[in-house]
Amino acid sequence: MVTPYRVSYWSIESVWIFYVLAALAVAVFVFGVISHVSVWSRGARRQGIGFSGQGIFNLFLDGLLGRRIFSGDVAAGTMHLLILWGFLGLFAGTVLISADYWVYHFLKGPVYIGYSICLEFFGLMLAIGLVWALIRRYLQRVTRLERRIEDLIVPVWLLVVVLSGFLVEGVRLSAQRPEWGGWSFIGHVISLFWSDPRGALSIYPYVWWSHAILSLGLVAAIPFCKLFHVLAAPLSIYMEDRPDLPMPAETVTGDEEVFSSRQMIFFDACTRCGRCVEVCPSAGAGEPFSPREFIAAVREDLLLRHHPLKGLDWFSRWSDPRKAEKPDLDPQKVWHCTTCRACLEVCPVYVATPKVIERARSRVVEDGTQVPLLLSQTLEKLYKYNNPWEASKKNRAKWSQDLEISDLTKTGEEDPLCYFVGCTTALDTRAQDLARSFARILKHAGVPFGTLGKNEPCCGDIARRVGEDGLFEEQMESCLALFGRNNIRRVVTSSPHCFHTFRNEYPTFQALRPPDEKVHFDVRHYTQVIGELVSEGSIRFEKRLNIKVTYHDPCYLGRHNRVYDEPRKVIRSIPGIELVEMSHNRANSLCCGGGGGRMWQQDLDSKIKMSEIRIREAAETGAEIVITACPLCLIMLEDARKTASLEDTLRVMDLNELVVMALGLRSEGGE
Amino acid sequence: MDVIVCVKQVPEVIDADLKISREGTGIEKEDLVMHINDWDNYAVEEAVCIKETQGGTVTAITIGDDESEDVLRRALAMGADKAIRIDPGERELDGFVISKILAKVIKDLEYHLVLTGVQADDDNSGMVGIMLAETLGLSHAAVVTGVEPEGDLARIRVELEGGMDEVSRIQLPSLLTIQTGINEPRYVSIMGIRKAGKKELTVIPVANLGLSEDDLTPRTRIEEVFLPPETTGAEMIEGDAASVAAELIKIIKEKGVSI
Amino acid sequence: MGEIYVVAEHRKGEVREITFEMLFKARELCRTFSHRLTALLLAGKDAGFADDLAKRADRVLVFENDRLETFNSDLHKEILNRVIQKDQPFMTWIAHTSWGMDLAPALSVKTGLPLATDCVDIQAEDGRPIVIRQIYSGKLFSRVSFKESPGYLMTVRSGAFLPPDDAEMEPGEVLKQDIPADLAEPRKTFVEFVDTGAGEIDITQADLLVSIGRGIGEEENIATIRELADRMGATLSCSRPVVDKNWLPKFHQVGTSGKSVRPKVYLALGISGAFQHVAGITGAGTVIAVNKDRKAPIFRVADYGVADDLFKVANALKEKLAGA
Repeated sequence: MVTPYRVSYWSIESVWIFYVLAALAVAVFVFGVISHVSVWSRGARRQGIGFSGQGIFNLFLDGLLGRRIFSGDVAAGTMHLLILWGFLGLFAGTVLISADYWVYHFLKGPVYIGYSICLEFFGLMLAIGLVWALIRRYLQRVTRLERRIEDLIVPVWLLVVVLSGFLVEGVRLSAQRPEWGGWSFIGHVISLFWSDPRGALSIYPYVWWSHAILSLGLVAAIPFCKLFHVLAAPLSIYMEDRPDLPMPAETVTGDEEVFSSRQMIFFDACTRCGRCVEVCPSAGAGEPFSPREFIAAVREDLLLRHHPLKGLDWFSRWSDPRKAEKPDLDPQKVWHCTTCRACLEVCPVYVATPKVIERARSRVVEDGTQVPLLLSQTLEKLYKYNNPWEASKKNRAKWSQDLEISDLTKTGEEDPLCYFVGCTTALDTRAQDLARSFARILKHAGVPFGTLGKNEPCCGDIARRVGEDGLFEEQMESCLALFGRNNIRRVVTSSPHCFHTFRNEYPTFQALRPPDEKVHFDVRHYTQVIGELVSEGSIRFEKRLNIKVTYHDPCYLGRHNRVYDEPRKVIRSIPGIELVEMSHNRANSLCCGGGGGRMWQQDLDSKIKMSEIRIREAAETGAEIVITACPLCLIMLEDARKTASLEDTLRVMDLNELVVMALGLRSEGGE
Repeated sequence: MDVIVCVKQVPEVIDADLKISREGTGIEKEDLVMHINDWDNYAVEEAVCIKETQGGTVTAITIGDDESEDVLRRALAMGADKAIRIDPGERELDGFVISKILAKVIKDLEYHLVLTGVQADDDNSGMVGIMLAETLGLSHAAVVTGVEPEGDLARIRVELEGGMDEVSRIQLPSLLTIQTGINEPRYVSIMGIRKAGKKELTVIPVANLGLSEDDLTPRTRIEEVFLPPETTGAEMIEGDAASVAAELIKIIKEKGVSI
Repeated sequence: MGEIYVVAEHRKGEVREITFEMLFKARELCRTFSHRLTALLLAGKDAGFADDLAKRADRVLVFENDRLETFNSDLHKEILNRVIQKDQPFMTWIAHTSWGMDLAPALSVKTGLPLATDCVDIQAEDGRPIVIRQIYSGKLFSRVSFKESPGYLMTVRSGAFLPPDDAEMEPGEVLKQDIPADLAEPRKTFVEFVDTGAGEIDITQADLLVSIGRGIGEEENIATIRELADRMGATLSCSRPVVDKNWLPKFHQVGTSGKSVRPKVYLALGISGAFQHVAGITGAGTVIAVNKDRKAPIFRVADYGVADDLFKVANALKEKLAGA
C-alpha cells in the first residue's frame, strides 16, 4: 500500500506566480494592519499591551468560546462558533501544510488521513456557519442585524472560498483517484461527478487558481472590511480588564485626539452586531441615538483623519459623496447617552461606549460653541454654586433642619461616619425625603454619623459624565481637601452616582499623585450600610407589611458597581413583603433616563420617555410599589408615574422610605 | 475687523438674598458669587463671532479690582486676544466716570467696533455704552440684537418694545450696546479659562490715565438702598369664585397689565 | 425745582403710551411747584400728534421735518441739545426705551447734564431732584441724588406712572419750531421695522401669561383656558407635562427646559410648582397661583394664591371680564 500524502502544487505550473500573488496579498494585509496601528497610535495615551492573566482568560472565554455571543442568543453563538472554529481550523491546516512543504514532511500515512478528515470537518463547519449567518440576516431577518453591502459580500466571499476549496479537492481526487480519497468525504462525493480523470485534470488548474486567488484576496481584504475584527476583537477583549489611566484635563491639548489608543482598538473590534442597539434605553425610547451608529461615526471620523486611505467606508462614501467630506459625527448626538452601561454589558468585544461618550463630550465642552443651553446652565451652576439645581448654596442643609444632625465641618470628630447627601438628594424636594429617611434609620439603629452641612460640595459626577473634566478635577480636589481636613475616612452616599465617582473615578485620578498627597477613604452606598445593619440585627422589622413590591436597579449601583443583592436582601427581610422582579432586572435592568447628565437635559426626551417605559414595566409586575435606591431614579420614576397615568395604582419609593415605613418611624415619603 | 468689548463683573443675584450694607448705600457682597454681567457675555460672544467670520482681533476691557480679572480670563477663553484691566483703586464710580475712564483708554486703541452690554445687572443703568460712544465721538445704537458688517457700514437690528425690531445701517466705527439673546454664548470650560491665562492681560491704574478731577467726579450718588416690601409665601385670596375673580382682576390691573 | 421738558416718543404714527405716563407724572410735579410743563415733539411733517400732547402739557414745542419721521439719535441729540442749552429746563425726561437708552446718555455727555436712568419715581427735594430706581434686577430700590447742575436728565420706566383715563386737561399751546439749518447728516439710517411678534408666540415677551399645568387634566380643557387668555389679552404658556403630552407646542413651555419668562403678571393655573418650572418664572413681576392643593409648592413662590378648582376660577374670571 502506498503511504497516503498530497503533492503540493500538483499539476500546477508557474507556481512562482502564486508566490508573487501571495506576497502581494500579505503585503496588502500588512499595510492594512499597519494603517490601523498607525491610527491607534494617535490615541491620547498609548497603553502597553503587557501580560495579563485575566486578559488571557477573557480571551479564552469570550474569544474562543464566544461567551458573550452565546449569552442571550444561543443561535448566534453557535453560528459564530462554527465560523470561528472552522476558520481557525482551516487556517491551522494551511499553516501545517506549509510547514509540511517547507520544513518537514510529516503529513503522510495516518497523520495525513487524520489531517484530511479534520480539514473536511472544519470546512464543513465554516460552510454551515456561513450559510446559517446568511439565513439569519437575510431570511430570518434578525432585527438587530443590518443588511449593508459589506454584510453580504464578506460571508458570501468566505463561503465561495470554502466551497471552491472543496471543489479543488474534489477535482484533484477525481483526477488522481488515490485509494485513500474516501477519507476526504466531501471531496470524494464531489469527485464522483467526473467519470473520466482526464476531464477533471483538464479543469483542475483553473479551479485551483480560482481558489488561490479568492483566498489570497480574502487575506488582503481582512484589514479593510469587517473581517478586521478577527484581529481587533481579540485585542480588545484582551485589553478590556485594564482601566484607562485618567486623562487630566490639563494634559489634553486641542489638537490631540481625546480617545485613548485602547478605545480606538475597541472601535475597530466592533462588528456592528447590534446587541447594544437592542439594550440601549435611549434607542429603545426612539431617540435619535444608537451606540452602534455613534461608535461607527467616531471610528469613521478617526479613520478619515488618520488612516492612510482616508477612511474605509468606501461604499457609503461612494453612494453619498457628502460623507467623504464630513462623517456623521453630530456634536448634538453625544448628549443622549445616559451612560447606563447596558451596551457594554452585552458587547461581545467590550466596546465601552459610555466612556467613549464621555471623551467625545469633553471635546464638545472644550470647544464650547455646541454645548446645549440647558447643559451649560447646569454647568454654570455647578461651577458657581457646587450643585446642578439652584443658583445658591444656602439651601443645601435645609432638609435636615428639624433633625439635629451634626455638621462634621464644625464638630471635629475623629473618624466619623460621613453621610454624603449629594446635590440632588439635598435640594430636590422629592429626593430630600430619602435623606431624612436615611438619617432617621441611622439614628434608629444608633449609628453615630454627621454630614458636611452647608459645605458639602458636588462630588463631580455630573461634570465627569458630561465631559467637563476641568470642573470635575476642581470638584474632586475640593472634596478630597474637605475630607482630609475633617479626618473623614468613612463615607456613605445617598446616590449611586456619588458612590461610583468616589469609588471608581477618584482612585484612578489619585493614582497620579505622590503617596503623601493621597486622601484615602472608604465609600459605601447606603443600601450596603442598611444591609449590614439588618444582618447584624441593629435593624429589626417587626411590623408585617403585606405588600407586593418590585425593585428597580439603578445603573450606577447595579451594572457599574455590581450591588444587586443588598437592596433585595433588605426588602426581603421585611416580613410580609413580596418582592417581584421586572423582566429587566439586575445586569440587564433598564435605565430610568436620568444618568449621564440627562437629568438636566430633559429636552432631549423623545415622545416616549425612558422613565415611562420603565414605570410601565414596573406596573406590569402587579407590584404596588416600585422601590429604588437612587435620587435620580426616584425623581424620574415619580415623574413618569404621573405622566403615564399610574398615579392611582403604583407608588415610587426610595428604599430608605420603605425601611422607615416598615420600622414605623415617622415618614412623609412616598406620596 | 478689530473689536473692543467692555465687560463688567457683577454679583449673581437671581436666587440670592441680598443684604444691605451697613452704610445703607450698597449690598453685602461676601456671600455672593461674582460672574460676568449677562449682557456683556453676549457682547463678548458677538465680538468673537465677528472675529471668527471677519478676521481681526478682540480686546476685552474691564474696570475693577484684581478679582474682576476672572471676567477677562473668561473673555480670553471665549476667544478674545488681549485684555486690559483698569484698576480704579478706591475711587467711587458711576456710569459717567466709568465712561470717561474707558474712553481715555480706548481712544488710543485700533478698532472698528466697540461693544458693551445693554446694561449691567448690578446698577441696571444702561448708560455707560452710549456715554462712551458720545465721548469718543462714535456713532451708536442701543439694545442691538443683530450686527452684520458691510464694509464701512454695519447693518444692525435694534430690539424695540412690543415685539418690533428696527433695522438700520450705521457708519463704522461705531459703538453698539448688545442685548441678550443676540447669539448663544459658548460654554467656557474650566480648562479653557486656565489655558487662557497665557494670553496678554495688561493692568492700568486709573491714576496713570491723566483724567481730570471733573471727569472722575460722579454725577449721581446713591443716597440710600432699600428693600421692596417683603412677602412671605402667597397671600391667599379666599372667598367664592366670583369675588376671587374680581380680586384677581384688580391685582392684575394694579400690576400694570391692562385687561 | 423748575420747568420740566418731556420728550415724546412715537412710532409708526402713534404716540407711545410711555409719553402720556411721563406727562402725567410731570404734570403732578409741576402742579405742586407751579411750574410750566413742556412736551417736546420731534416728528415728521404733519404727524398730527401735537394736539394730543397739548391736552396733557402747558405747551408743545414741535420740530417737524421729514428726517424726523422715525427716531434718530444723532438728529434728536443735536436738536435737543440746542433746546436745552437755550431754554435751560430744570429737568428733561426721556422714555427708558431702546430709543431713549440710545439718546439720553449721549445727550447727557453732549449737554454736560447729569443723567439718571430707568427711574420709577421722581421727586424734588430742596430744589434738587431725587429719583428712585430699581437695582439688582429689581431686588432692591435705590434713592439717587445728583451733583449740582443747571439741569438734570432722566429716563423714565414704562408703567411706573399710570395715568387715569381722565388725564387730559385744557389744551396747551402748540409752538412750531424751526429745525436748525446746520444739522449734520446722521450716521445711522433707518431701513425698516420688522414685526417679531408675528407668527409664533413668544412667551418671553408677554406682559401677562396665563399658564397651565398638569391640573388642566385633559387636552380638551385647554380650549377653555385659551379662551380666557384671549379675553384677558394674555399669552398662553404652560409647564412641562402639558408639552410632554403634546397638548401644546414646545414654545409655550416655561421652566428650565422651556423658556424663562418675565411677565408683569404670571397666572399659574393648576401648576404644582416643581423647581424646574419655578426657575423659569423668577423674573416674573407678580405670580398668582390657582391650585386645588393648598400645600402645592407653587404657593411658596407665588405672591397671591387661590386654593380652588382652576376651572371655577377661570370661568368666574371670564364672566367678570365679559361683564366689565
